[in-house]
This record gives sequence, structure tokens and C-alpha cells, in this order.
Amino acid sequence: MSETTVIIKRRTQTPVKKKSQIGYTAAALVVIIAMGVYLAQVKTLLSIIWFLGIALGVILQKSRFCFTASLRDPILTGSTTLTRATLIAFAVAMVGFAALQFTTLLKGGPVTGNVSPVGLHTVIGAILFGIGMVISGGCASGTLMRMGEGFAMQWISITTFILGSVLGAIHFGWWTENFFRAAPKIYIPEVLGWAGGFWGQLAVLALLYVVATWYEYRNID
Amino acid sequence: MAEFTIDALGEACPIPLLKVQKKWPELQRGDVLVVNIDHSCALKNIPEWARKQGQNVEVEEVEDGVWDIYIEKID
Repeated sequence: MSETTVIIKRRTQTPVKKKSQIGYTAAALVVIIAMGVYLAQVKTLLSIIWFLGIALGVILQKSRFCFTASLRDPILTGSTTLTRATLIAFAVAMVGFAALQFTTLLKGGPVTGNVSPVGLHTVIGAILFGIGMVISGGCASGTLMRMGEGFAMQWISITTFILGSVLGAIHFGWWTENFFRAAPKIYIPEVLGWAGGFWGQLAVLALLYVVATWYEYRNID
Repeated sequence: MAEFTIDALGEACPIPLLKVQKKWPELQRGDVLVVNIDHSCALKNIPEWARKQGQNVEVEEVEDGVWDIYIEKID
């Protein structure tokens, strides 16, 4: 018997009685389904979005998917599992958006989705957000998920997150006037062509995936 | 065969792991480090980090949403 098992045996002699959560689960299930039925009567699409949202939340919680960890763990723990999960998510989203945008383009409509000006402000903003999310223990989706789990500190995170976003929204006009207007809008299919943009992005993501896999297992063999 | 404890209750994601990494060099072979956490994210990255180093890891849920992670220093 290892030392660890001995210590665990000794510690768990006074077990704390855990509360059963079956009641809460059943109540939540009833609320979710009732809300789904109600939304379906208003508009079918709302009901679909509702269930997609619930499913996303469950997956986020169970898989411990976390954008913060995907960039932080390679340095802290040497693990790139979440980095690779994020890369796959990017690839899936990219294929989906390409399909959507190409369809609207064939119909002669304008490009769907956000094409925002890119520049030095993107880099500075990303670094600031990165520092903030590591300190507060999660990005927006991670914070929401941990709030739901009952980690009280994240309630402070979300409050300041909302305050910061409101402040940003108030001053957005000023930023647009002074920085965004001069910055170029880059739409990759326009620069590289549709084939180059689509396969190029997939190739970059695949390359990053290979690098991430190599990084995780390089020490073992 | 000493036993060390880290109280990381209320600490958000990377902090418990950083505390473990800071404490780790003080441990001798056979020592056990007990980390008390209540942030579910640390439940993933602490065992992951320790197992990657080849250490022995056990996790015990001691209360609702509170876990003890046992890390035995093997080498």
C-alpha cells in the first residue's frame, strides 16, 4: 500500500455527508423543458437556440473547455489538450463560416459576419484581455460556467467584466474616430482568394495542431 | 515520509497549481502533498501536471465542491 492510500484512508474516516443534488437536477430539467416548450410556441428558432445554449453550457462544464487554459496550460503544465481542442473548434467554425459566407456571396448578398479593422490596437487589446483573464480565472464563457458551478469569486469577475464592457461601449465612438477608422479591414478571401483563404487557414490550423501535439509529447520519448 | 498541506480554497484557476509548483522542490521522495481546492479547474490542471511528472495522484471529494488532491513524490 502506497503512502498516499494510507493518508487517504486515515483522512476519510470522518466523511462529510454530501447533499443529494437529484432534486435540483430534476427541477432544472423541468424548467429547461418548460422554457423550451414556451419558446417553441413563440418561435421555433428561439427554442432551438435555447437548447443549443444549454448543450453548450453542459459541454463547457464537463469538458473543462477553457480559452484561458488553452493558451496558459502549455506554459504552466506542458499540456496542449485544450489548445488542440480550441484549434479544432476554430477549424469547425471556419468551415461553417466559409459555407455561410460563400452561399450569401453566390446569391449576390453582402458578406455575413463581422469583418473588423485590424491593427496595433488589436494586439494591445488582446494582451490586456489576456492578462485580465488569467488573473480573474477565466474568459467570458469560462467565467459564466464557473459562476454556474458556484465559485463565488467569479461573480466579482463577471460584475467587473460587465462594468468594463459598458465602459468600453460608452467610449467606443472615440476609439472608432481615432484608431479604427484609419486601420485596414482585412477580409482573407479578398486577399488570398477563396481557395487560398479556405485551404490556407485550414493548413495553418493543422500546422499549429501538429506543433501542439509535438510540444506535449516531446519529453516523453 | 512527511505530509504537506496547501490550502488553496477560494483561489482561482492557475493559483493552486502555482502554489503546488512553488512548494514542490521542498518535498523529498515519498513525501505527500495535500492540496485543498474548491475551483474545479484546478481539479484538471494539478493532477495533469503531477501525472506528467510521473507522480502518484489521488483525488478525493471531501465536501460538495471541495476536493483534496494527494500528490506523492515518486522521484
